[in-house]
Amino acid sequence: MILFDLLFMLLVAYITGFLYYGLYRNITARFQRRLGPPVWQSFLDSIKFFSKEESISHGWMFYLGPVIMMSGAIMTLFFIPLFHTGESFKGLSSYGNLFLVLYLLVLGALGNALAVGASGNPFGVMGVTRGLSRLFALELPFYISVIALISVSGSADIVCIAASQTEWNAFAYPLLFIAALFSFVGMMGQAPFDVVGAPVEVYSGPASEFSGKFLALLMSQSAIFTFAKLVLMVHLFLGGASGFVELLAKSFGLFLFVIAFGAMYGRFKTPQSIDFLLKVPTSIAIVGLILATWS
Amino acid sequence: MFSEIKNRFATDDVEVKRKGLYKVVVKHERLFALIVMLKEMYDYKTLNTITCTDWIEEGHFALTYIMTTLKRNETFMLQTMILREEAHTKSLSYLFKQAQIMERDLHEMYGIKFEGNENLKELSLENWVHTPPLRREFDTLEFVNNHLTFRDGRDDNIDTKAESKRLRAIKKAEKEAAKKAKESKKAEDVQ
Amino acid sequence: METGFLQEQKVLEGDLNSENSHQNSVDFLMNWFRKQSIFVLAYGTGCGAIEMPPTFTSRYDAERLGIRGAATPRQADVIIVSGYCSYKTLRRIIRTYEQMSNPKYLLALGSCTVNGGMYWDSYNTIKKLEDYLPVDMYVNGCMPRPESILEGFIALQKEIGEGKASSWQKYEENYEFYRKNQEAVLGKKVEPSYEADWYLYEGGL
Ligand code: SF4
Repeated sequence: MILFDLLFMLLVAYITGFLYYGLYRNITARFQRRLGPPVWQSFLDSIKFFSKEESISHGWMFYLGPVIMMSGAIMTLFFIPLFHTGESFKGLSSYGNLFLVLYLLVLGALGNALAVGASGNPFGVMGVTRGLSRLFALELPFYISVIALISVSGSADIVCIAASQTEWNAFAYPLLFIAALFSFVGMMGQAPFDVVGAPVEVYSGPASEFSGKFLALLMSQSAIFTFAKLVLMVHLFLGGASGFVELLAKSFGLFLFVIAFGAMYGRFKTPQSIDFLLKVPTSIAIVGLILATWS
Repeated sequence: MFSEIKNRFATDDVEVKRKGLYKVVVKHERLFALIVMLKEMYDYKTLNTITCTDWIEEGHFALTYIMTTLKRNETFMLQTMILREEAHTKSLSYLFKQAQIMERDLHEMYGIKFEGNENLKELSLENWVHTPPLRREFDTLEFVNNHLTFRDGRDDNIDTKAESKRLRAIKKAEKEAAKKAKESKKAEDVQ
Repeated sequence: METGFLQEQKVLEGDLNSENSHQNSVDFLMNWFRKQSIFVLAYGTGCGAIEMPPTFTSRYDAERLGIRGAATPRQADVIIVSGYCSYKTLRRIIRTYEQMSNPKYLLALGSCTVNGGMYWDSYNTIKKLEDYLPVDMYVNGCMPRPESILEGFIALQKEIGEGKASSWQKYEENYEFYRKNQEAVLGKKVEPSYEADWYLYEGGL
C-alpha cells in the first residue's frame, strides 16, 4: 500500500512540477509581452534530452552527481506528506520529521558540487562556489523561522504543524513568513538570488557541463524538488492541505508569487545577496522568533 | 616650432593641412628624435596610430605616426620611408605602450620587423605561412582561387552586360524595321 | 531545370511536402519530441548574429515554437553559423560543433556561407561552408531577417520530424573528406589550443 502511495506521489510531483515549470516559462513570457512556449514545453525538452546521445565522460563521480541530486529530491518528496488529514499520501512522513527534511534539502546541492568538481568545468565550478556560499546565507533565516514554528506548535512533525494551525501561520506569525519567503525565493532559484545559474555570466553555472541524459535528469529533479518545496511551504505556513484542489490552489498561489517576484527584480551579485540575506531576512526572522516565543 | 623642426631635422616645410592638423615627412634616422622632441617639449602625449602605405613602385613603405595633443587639440602626422626589402625599423614601445600592439598588427599585415618589440606574434591570423596579406605583391584573387573552393554557378548563368547589349540591339533593329515599314507605308499612301 | 545553388537547396530541403516517410513509430515519436524542442547555441559569427537577438526575444519570440537559446554547446541541438567565417572563427566553430552531442544540426545564415557573399574575394574567409561542416539548412539573404530565420527553423523542424535531417551522421561517415578540407585551409593543426596562451603568455594581446 505504501509503495503505491509513494509511486503516486512521485507521479503527481513529476507531472505537477513540469506543469509548473511550463507555466513559469509561459507566465514570464507574458510578463515580457510575448506569447511564450506551450505549457508542456519543459516536458518535451526533458524527453528530448533523454533521447540524446552521450559523448563525454569525467569519471564515475560525474555520473553519480545527478543521481545523488535526484535521490535527494525524491527523498525530500517522500518525507513530506501531501495532505495533513486522512490516511493516504502520507509517504514516509511518519518515519522522519522536519529536521530530516531540512537536511535532505541540501543534499541536492551537495551532489551537484561533487559532480561539477569532478567535471572540472571552470564555469561549473564558479557556479557551484556561488551556489554553496549563497546556500549558507539562504538557510539561516529559513531555519530560524522553522525552529520558531516548531517551538510554537510543540512538534517537529510536519503533519502536526500543519494540523495545529487554527489561523494560518502566515497570518499568525507574519514576520516569520516573510523571512522564510525570502529564502524560499532563493531556493527556487529566482531573481534577485539567481546568481548561481546566471546564463549570461557563467554559462548556466553548475549545469554547464551536463548534457543529454544528465540534463534531463537534472530537469526532472528540479521539477520534483520544486513541487516538494512548495508542499513544504504550504504545510508550514499556509495551513496545510486536505485535498488535491486545496493543495494545488495554495501551492500555485505561492508559485505565482515567487514568479512575479522573480520577474520584477534584477540580479544581486553573490556578495550582495549574502549580505542582504544575512542582514534583512535574518533579523526579521530573529524578531519574529522572539515575538512568537515571548509569552 | 615649425622652423625648429625644419632646421634641426632637415625636413621640408611642415604642411598645414587644416587648422590643427600638420604633416611632415622626415628621414628615418631622425624620426625617433623628432618623436621624442614632440612628446617631451610640445606635449604630444598620445600616439593615435601607426599606419603603413605600400609604395611598391618606389620600393618603400611609408610609415605614418599620428600623434595628438589634447592641450591645444592638435594632431601631427609624421611620415617616414623605409625600404621594402629590409622592412626593418625600431620599436616605439618604450615610449608609448600602445605602440606595441600597433606594431604587432603591422608586422602581421606587412611583415615589417620592429626591433625592440618583445612580442610580434600573430594577432588575428593563425598559422599564416604565405606573404603578409596587405603587401601589394600578395594577389588576393589568385590566392583565393588557388586555396578556396567556390560553389559552381548556375548553368544558365549569363553575362548580364553582353546580354543587355544583345537585347538592346534586337530592340533597336525592331524599332528601325517598324520605322521603315511606316515610312514605306506613308510613301505608298502618298502615291 | 534549376542548377547550382537552387538545385542544391532543393536537395537540402528535400521534398518537404511529401508524405512518404519511412520511419518506425519509436523513431517517429522521438523525432517529434526533437522537433518540438530545439536548443540553439548562443554563438554568432559575422554580421548575421545581430538578427538573432530579436529572433529570440520579445519581438519575434522564437520560444513559442519551442526554439530556445542554450548557453553551452553541451546542451545545444542547433548551432547557427550566422555569416562569414574567417579561418580563426572556423577553428572555433569546428571545436564547438564537435563538442555538441548527437543529434545535432547546423543552420547556416546568409549568402556568405552559401558562396562567400560579398567576401567572395577575401583571403581570410571560407566560401562554401558545406565543405568543412555538414549543413542542414541554408537561409540565404544578406542578412536574413528574423522572419526568414524563423522560416528556416520551421523548415528544419519539418525535416527533423521526417527524420531527414541527419547531417551529424554525414559528418561521422565522411569525416576524412571534411578533415581534408579543413586541413587544406587551416593547416595541420585544426583545433585552437585549449590553453589560454594567446592572451596570457608571451606578452599576450
Ligand atoms: S551574408 Fe551579408 S549580412 Fe551575412 S555575414 Fe555575409 S555580408 Fe554579413
